Amino acid sequence: MKVALFIPCYVDQFYTNVGVSTLQLLEKLGVEVVFPMKQTCCGQPMANGGCEQDSKGVYEHFVETFSEFDYVVTPSGSCTYHIKKHYDIIEQTPAVQKVRKSIYELVDFIENVLKIEEIPNSFPHKVGLHLSCHGQRGLRQANASEITGVRDGQISKLLRKLNGIELTELERNDECCGFGGMFCVTEEAVSARMGQDRIADHLRNGTKVLTGGDVSCLMHLEGIVKRQNAPIKVMHIAEILNGNQP
Amino acid sequence: MNHPDHPELAEAFNKDFERTTWHDETLWFVRQKRDKAVYPVPEFQDLRTLASEIKDHTLSNLDNYLIEFEENATKNGVKVHWAADATEHNQIVMEIIKNSCKVEGRNARLVKSKSMLTEECHLNGFLEKNNIDVVDTDLGERIVQFRNEPPSHIVLPAIHLKKEDVGETFHKHLGTTKGEKDPQILTEAARQHLRGKFVAADVALTGINFAIAETGSFVVCTNEGNADLGVNLAKVHIACMGIEKIIPKLHHLSVYTRLLARSATGQPVTTYTSHFTKPVEGKEMHIVIVDNGRTQQLGREDFRSSLKCIRCGACMNTCPVYRRSGGHSYDFTVPGPIGAILSPNIDLHKHKSLPFASTLCGSCSDVCPVKIDIHVQLYKWRQIVGQANELPAAKKWAMKGMAKVLSMPKVYNLSGKLARGALRILPHGLTHNQSMNPWAKARELPDAPKQSFKEWYEENRK
Amino acid sequence: MTSREKILASIASNKPTLVTLPNVPIFEGDGSIERFKTVLEGIGGTAVELTTKAECQEAIDKYYHDLVNVASDIVKANVAVNLDTTKEILEQVDLAVIQGEIGVAENGTVWVPESNMLNRALPFITQHLVLVLDKNNIVANMQQAYDKLEDIGNYGVFIAGPSKTADIEQSLVIGAHGARSMMVLIY
Ligand code: SF4
Repeated sequence: MKVALFIPCYVDQFYTNVGVSTLQLLEKLGVEVVFPMKQTCCGQPMANGGCEQDSKGVYEHFVETFSEFDYVVTPSGSCTYHIKKHYDIIEQTPAVQKVRKSIYELVDFIENVLKIEEIPNSFPHKVGLHLSCHGQRGLRQANASEITGVRDGQISKLLRKLNGIELTELERNDECCGFGGMFCVTEEAVSARMGQDRIADHLRNGTKVLTGGDVSCLMHLEGIVKRQNAPIKVMHIAEILNGNQP
Repeated sequence: MNHPDHPELAEAFNKDFERTTWHDETLWFVRQKRDKAVYPVPEFQDLRTLASEIKDHTLSNLDNYLIEFEENATKNGVKVHWAADATEHNQIVMEIIKNSCKVEGRNARLVKSKSMLTEECHLNGFLEKNNIDVVDTDLGERIVQFRNEPPSHIVLPAIHLKKEDVGETFHKHLGTTKGEKDPQILTEAARQHLRGKFVAADVALTGINFAIAETGSFVVCTNEGNADLGVNLAKVHIACMGIEKIIPKLHHLSVYTRLLARSATGQPVTTYTSHFTKPVEGKEMHIVIVDNGRTQQLGREDFRSSLKCIRCGACMNTCPVYRRSGGHSYDFTVPGPIGAILSPNIDLHKHKSLPFASTLCGSCSDVCPVKIDIHVQLYKWRQIVGQANELPAAKKWAMKGMAKVLSMPKVYNLSGKLARGALRILPHGLTHNQSMNPWAKARELPDAPKQSFKEWYEENRK
Repeated sequence: MTSREKILASIASNKPTLVTLPNVPIFEGDGSIERFKTVLEGIGGTAVELTTKAECQEAIDKYYHDLVNVASDIVKANVAVNLDTTKEILEQVDLAVIQGEIGVAENGTVWVPESNMLNRALPFITQHLVLVLDKNNIVANMQQAYDKLEDIGNYGVFIAGPSKTADIEQSLVIGAHGARSMMVLIY
């Protein structure tokens, strides 16, 4: 099994720790991981901004970088969703088709490819899980409240099994945080307000550590936490599963 | 002409923090009522699929169903009219009124129940200019009519107003006590006022929720009973519908009536689900079938399913952006997510900011009772806006530059390093300058680490 | 070209290839009187069970003795209502007692065809509404209701509880324009 690691551009630049934790976690789980050095980005930021035609070069570069692998694993549901869903505008060569199939979000990979249901770590903290929309509704990694009242999903399944952990019961379990790519600057007012409301829900219900599957949402939420000096530590799910402590 | 775009209007809305909280919570409450009504129905998801497929079928045979509908309605003694656009629709309605009510020495009087189509056609203003008195009889619509505002929601027209605002409006127009804000008392005042209007009306106009090809009948759903009260007291009934309101068979109503009210307000069904087939002896019934851009949308493969919309409003109630920017920020008859995919078909330039007024979270698509893939269509409209050169220049060039950099690993690595370096060195006041960096108005930037992941990897794993 | 022709031609050239029409199954469900009553009460109506239809008069005397002007072809009436009744008289009706045909347990709604209404405006203009319903005509859901409903006639309405609105700040107010209260007498 040839597994490649894809570290999205903003994670590479601003969240070195998340990249390191993802790599270490996979290694601990017995996966031999290759990190192709020429990788950059999946092209989502431009495409969501209305310029998918301009991203074709980025898409092709991505495919060229990753097509030799059986699996491409990334700590981002959003990039995974983008590659699966929106790489339909370039010619569907076997390489493109392969990459679109082999791209996996980290937790999905752990549960559904490695078939690992439990990671024997302890994390004795009150944890609030932010469900990022692209992982949740795009990849169906978690139930959507529009469809069912049962709150469950891949990330919460793994989290719940950590020793000593307590999960926050939120008022709005799957409301968007308001990051939304370019949205966070073009619609600054609404974006910030959405983020503030998410943080308020976590604060009201006792979250001490806020986690999630997408660094982009967490970066936005962390920006608000820091501005408000709120007593919340933000960690990506890879860091928690890797055994890092807040 | 320069229109204020969604971000500007949304920012203005958000200036009032408390009111934004209230607006968000009020609509979230409706969304929660919807959940409570939906979860216990075991076949709810099957019903959504059926509703979606019936509409897909209907759209693929729409011309024949419209012909069948017209034939049957005509047999029932109903007069069917066709309008290519808003202007023609308004003209037809006016002529029906002028021909049917020869009133002397006063204006003809029209009572109107809720119809988004007539809002879309700006019928009220047109009729008033032509000396026809128009009274909106849905309570929410009456409130916004008094205030000379458009509705801010398709099901809850006055949802942007607080009871104090309504109290003020009724004090001015209906003479209720100043400061009175009890919804019970205000509603009673409206009831008394509107009873008089119902009894005095010459003509009643309604929208159409569903038109049944098989029988030539149409169905109107209300909670207040204003449609039936108006229609059954007036001599003439005019019902206006977009071409997409057709369903093939009577029993298909069994699918939509189970979905509509549950999705809209969380009621198991609307209080009145009224089936009109034939007029009473001596009275008139007219149906106006309107295109106004719909056939064009039908021809857009990526967007035609937007015509399946049954106007339940659930996508508005669930939309985190709508809840925090208000219906008026969309500046289009139908606001919210569905409005953002309908409006660019009508005027791409004017509404170019609407497909971007979303985080693409997808909640709208999951809540939609007819399974319109709204967020997918938002993404696709963005590409059309981009291709049509309607993106702000700065944004466009930033994207193009970004795309270049990201397809060239070496350039990417270097520019990332420079940016991180700059972030670490530059003072907070400069990196967080709010006029240059909207991110920083309410958020801190991430700490820039010394090493990128790539640099770490080279040092530790190679 | 008339607008009709224009619209039809435009649809013909813009519509997608024919998609098949799905079959709508008659879903099963709980069609009990209890469920009908609970749901109806949840939407602001009331339900009273009688042993025979003849007891309707008694029930009306008991619950509505304070109402003056009654229109009905089931119980004693003092306002005669028919197709030609004027608006001015209709406006005076305090209570209408009308036969309902089908009750739906999932949503508390009752089918009332024009033929039972005495006048199309009556169920809406009356201050209070009572529908009389045979318990054997209660079905579980709307699929079963439309299945049972062979002919909708010239005009017919599913009525679910009293007239209501929540247009002012989402506060529920009963008695918007139509009936201020609605009772179903089940026999
Ligand atoms: S798009 Fe769907 S959810 Fe939105 S109003 Fe239409 S039917 Fe309702």
